[in-house]
Amino acid sequence: MADEDNSSDRVDNETPKPEKMFTLKKWNAVAMWSWDVECDTCAICRVQVMDACLRCQAESKAGSGRQDCVVVWGECNHSFHYCCMSLWVKQNNRCPLCQQEWSIQRMGK
Amino acid sequence: MSLKPRTVDFNQTWDTLQETVKGVVTLGNVPRAIWNDRFSDVYSLCVSFPEPLADRLYIETKAFLESHVKSLLDVVKSKGEPSLLQAYHSSWVEYSQGIIYLHRLYLYLNTQHIRGQKLSEAEIIYGNVTPNAEEQMEIGELGLDVWKRMMIEPLRENLVSHLLEEIHKDRLGNPSHHLIDVIRGVIMSFVNVEEYRKSQSPELYQQIFEAPFLQASGEFYKREASKLLQECDVSQYMEKVTQRLEEERLRSQRFVHTSTHPKVKAKCEQHMVADHLALLQSECHAMVVQERERDLALLYPLLRSVQGGINVLISEVMEHIKLKGTEAIAGIRGDNYHVLFIESLLAVHNKYRSLIQNVFNGDLAFIGALDKACTTVVNTRPNPKMACRSPELLAKYCDCLLKKSSKGISDTEIDEKLFQSITIFKYIDDKDAFQKFYSRMLAKRLIHQQSQSMDAEEAMIDRLKQACGYEFTNKLHRMFTDISLSADLNLKFNAHLKTDTIDLGINFSIYVLQAGAWPLNLTSLSTFSVPQELEKSVQTFENFYHKNFNGRKLTWFHHLCQGDLKLGYLKKPYIITMQTFQMAIMLLFEDTDTMTCSEVEQALKLSQDVILKHIASLIDCKLLLSDISSENLTPESILKLNMDYSNKRTKLRITAAMVRDSPQEVEHTMNAINEDRKLYLQAAIVRIMKSRRVLRHNALIQEVLGQSRVTFAPSISMIKKCIESLIDKQYLERTPNSPDEYMYIA
Repeated sequence: MADEDNSSDRVDNETPKPEKMFTLKKWNAVAMWSWDVECDTCAICRVQVMDACLRCQAESKAGSGRQDCVVVWGECNHSFHYCCMSLWVKQNNRCPLCQQEWSIQRMGK
Repeated sequence: MSLKPRTVDFNQTWDTLQETVKGVVTLGNVPRAIWNDRFSDVYSLCVSFPEPLADRLYIETKAFLESHVKSLLDVVKSKGEPSLLQAYHSSWVEYSQGIIYLHRLYLYLNTQHIRGQKLSEAEIIYGNVTPNAEEQMEIGELGLDVWKRMMIEPLRENLVSHLLEEIHKDRLGNPSHHLIDVIRGVIMSFVNVEEYRKSQSPELYQQIFEAPFLQASGEFYKREASKLLQECDVSQYMEKVTQRLEEERLRSQRFVHTSTHPKVKAKCEQHMVADHLALLQSECHAMVVQERERDLALLYPLLRSVQGGINVLISEVMEHIKLKGTEAIAGIRGDNYHVLFIESLLAVHNKYRSLIQNVFNGDLAFIGALDKACTTVVNTRPNPKMACRSPELLAKYCDCLLKKSSKGISDTEIDEKLFQSITIFKYIDDKDAFQKFYSRMLAKRLIHQQSQSMDAEEAMIDRLKQACGYEFTNKLHRMFTDISLSADLNLKFNAHLKTDTIDLGINFSIYVLQAGAWPLNLTSLSTFSVPQELEKSVQTFENFYHKNFNGRKLTWFHHLCQGDLKLGYLKKPYIITMQTFQMAIMLLFEDTDTMTCSEVEQALKLSQDVILKHIASLIDCKLLLSDISSENLTPESILKLNMDYSNKRTKLRITAAMVRDSPQEVEHTMNAINEDRKLYLQAAIVRIMKSRRVLRHNALIQEVLGQSRVTFAPSISMIKKCIESLIDKQYLERTPNSPDEYMYIA
C-alpha cells in the first residue's frame, strides 16, 4: 500500500512513479477506546466500567475527577472494577458471577 | 494633724466648714490650705469621739444645700418668665460644677460612712430589700437630688413649655441661635440630675421632657404632612419629607439625649410616611414604569422605614423587569438569534442591576426581585408544548465566543462575555439541557480543532463548575483530559515510528477518546471498508496502542476523521481538507472517471443514506459532476470526476457542510436529555421511597421536585410516567387501602 503514495516530499528508494491523481497528505483520525469487556456494567457496584466505581466517584468528587479506577479480568473472563473486586475478595475469593475461584487474568491499563 | 479620733465640737467645726462649702458650691475662690483643712474637718467629724458626728454633718449639709437651692430658685424666678431658660441654665452650670467639687470635699464621708450603709447591687437585684427612702446619699447625689426636688419640680412646667416653644421655632426655620447651648444644657440637666442612679434610662427626663416633646413632634409633623400634601405633588412631597427627616436627625443630635433620636425619627416617619403609605404606594407603579430614578431614590428610604411598606415597590420593580426582559427578546429574528437573545437579556439584567445598585442601595430584596424576574424571562416557553430554547441558545452563544471564527474581539472581551454568560446560566432551570448542548459543541470544537484558546475553554468549564458543582462538569473535564492525553500519545507514536522506521505514507495524528465521557453515540457508526491508503496507519496504530495499554479496544470514528487530499489531475495542484468518507469516495476515481452511486456504496460498504449525503456534498462543491441535482440522487445516478475543477484558492476545506448542526441533531439532543431525565427521576423516586417506605402521591411529587431543582424543572406528567414505569418494574406498588399512596417493594 505504500506504493499508492508518491508524494514528492517523501524519501522513497524506488524510482519516482508518474504523479498520481490523488495523494493523501494528512489524516487526523478519531477513535474511541473502551474496556474490552463482555458486560459493560460492574456487577458489584452497578456502575458502568467506563466510569469510575461508586467509591472512587464519591471520593474524587472533591478532588481531580476520574482517578485510575481500572478494570480487572478474572480467569473466568468476567470483569469488574479493580477497586470493587479487591474489596470483594477479602470476603469471598470467588467470582460473584460464576462462583469460580477468583484469579486475575489481566488488569486494565 | 493626728488621724486619731478625738472629741470635736460640732457647731464650731460646722461653722467654718459651712463657709467653705458655700464657697465651693458658688465656685468661689477657695485656697488650697483652707480646702485641706476642711477636708480634715470632714474626716475628724466622721471619726469623732465619743460618738461619730457623720450623721449630723450629713443632715446639716443637706439643710444647707436645700436653703441654697431655694435661694437660687428665687433668683431664677426673679429674672422673669422670658429669660427663664437662661437664668435656669446659668444657675445649673454653676451649681452642678460646684456639687462636683463638694462631692470631693466630702470624700471621707462618701466613701467610709455612706457607701458602708448602702446595699450592694446584688442585694438590690436579688434580695427582696426595697431601698430605704430615707437612705443617705453621697454628697454629689444629694446635691443633685436637692436640685431636682427644689428647682426642677417647681419650674418643670414652665421650663418644658419654653423648651418646646424654642424647638418649634427651630422647626419653623427661625431658631434662636444664641439659645442653642442653653436649650441643650437645660434638657441635659434633666438627664444629668439623675446621673448617680443605677438604672440606665433617664426616667425624670423621659417623664417631664421626652413624653411632651414626642407628642408635640407628632402633632407638628401630622400638620406638616397634611399641609405639604395640599401644596405639592408626590415628588415634591417626598423631597420635603426627606429633607424634614434629615433636619430632624440633626436637630435631635443638637438638642436631645441620644435615647430619644430613634423615637423622634419614628414619630416623623409615622406621621409623614406611614399615615400616607397608600398614597405613596399608589404612585409606585408610575415611577417604576417611567423609571424615574430620582423619585425612586427618594421613595426607597421612606418606604423602607415602614414595616412592610417596601413590598409593593419590590413587586412593581419585579413586574417591570419581567416586562422589559420579555420585550427585549420578543423582536429578535435572524441568523444571529442566539447572540442577540443572550446579549439583550444581559443588557436588561445589567441595566436593572445597576439601577438597583444606585437607586436602592443594592438592597438584597431588590436583587432577589431581579433574580426572580430574570428567571421567569429566561425560562419562558414561547410554546408550552416545546422545551425552552434558552439552554440551547446560551450554549450556542458560548460556542460562538470560544470558536476560532469570532473575529474582531479581543481575548479580554471574550473572557468578559463568557463571564457574563454565567449570569444567564444561573437563571436557567434546565441546566441539564445546557450541559448536553454545551458538551456536544465542546466535543465538536475539540475534535475539529476549532477552539480559539484552550485557556478560555478551561476557564469557562471552571466557571460552570463553580456555579453547578463537580458532577456537572465531570464529563467536560474528562473530554479535556483526553485531548491532552492524545497529544502525548501522538508524540509517543511518532517516536515509535521513527525507532522502528515505519513509514505510514501520510502525516498521521489521532485523538483517542474515552467512551462514556463524550456525547457521541455509537449507533451512528456504520460499516466502512477503510481505503488501502489508510489501512497501514490504522493497523500500525492499533498494534502500538494494544502494546501500550491492556484490556482496551478501539472503535474508529471515521465520520469524525478528516484528512488533506492532494488533487494532481487539474491545472493547479489543490490540497483539500475533507472528511474521511468524502476522501474515500474521491479515491475511488483514481482508476475510473465515472461510477454509479451503488458502485460507490459497494466499494466502501457504507450505508446508503451516508453515501448519498457525502456524494451530494462533493457534487455541491463541484468536485464531482452528475446529471441529477444533489438532492435527488438515486443509487443509479452516474457520477463523473470534474476534470475542469478550478478554485481561486489552492488550499480549502469542504468539511463545513457536514459539521453544521442539523435540526435533527437538536431534536436528538432534546431526546437524549429526556432519556437522562427519566433515569434521574426514577433514581430519585426509588431513593425517596426506599427511605420512606410508604408515601402519598403529592408528598412524593414534592420531594422529587425538591431533589431535581438543581439541574432541571421536571413536569408533573413526566414524574407520573416515571412512577408508572417503576410500578411496572415492580419497584413500587399502590397500597391496597388508598388509591394515591405508594409502597416500596424491597
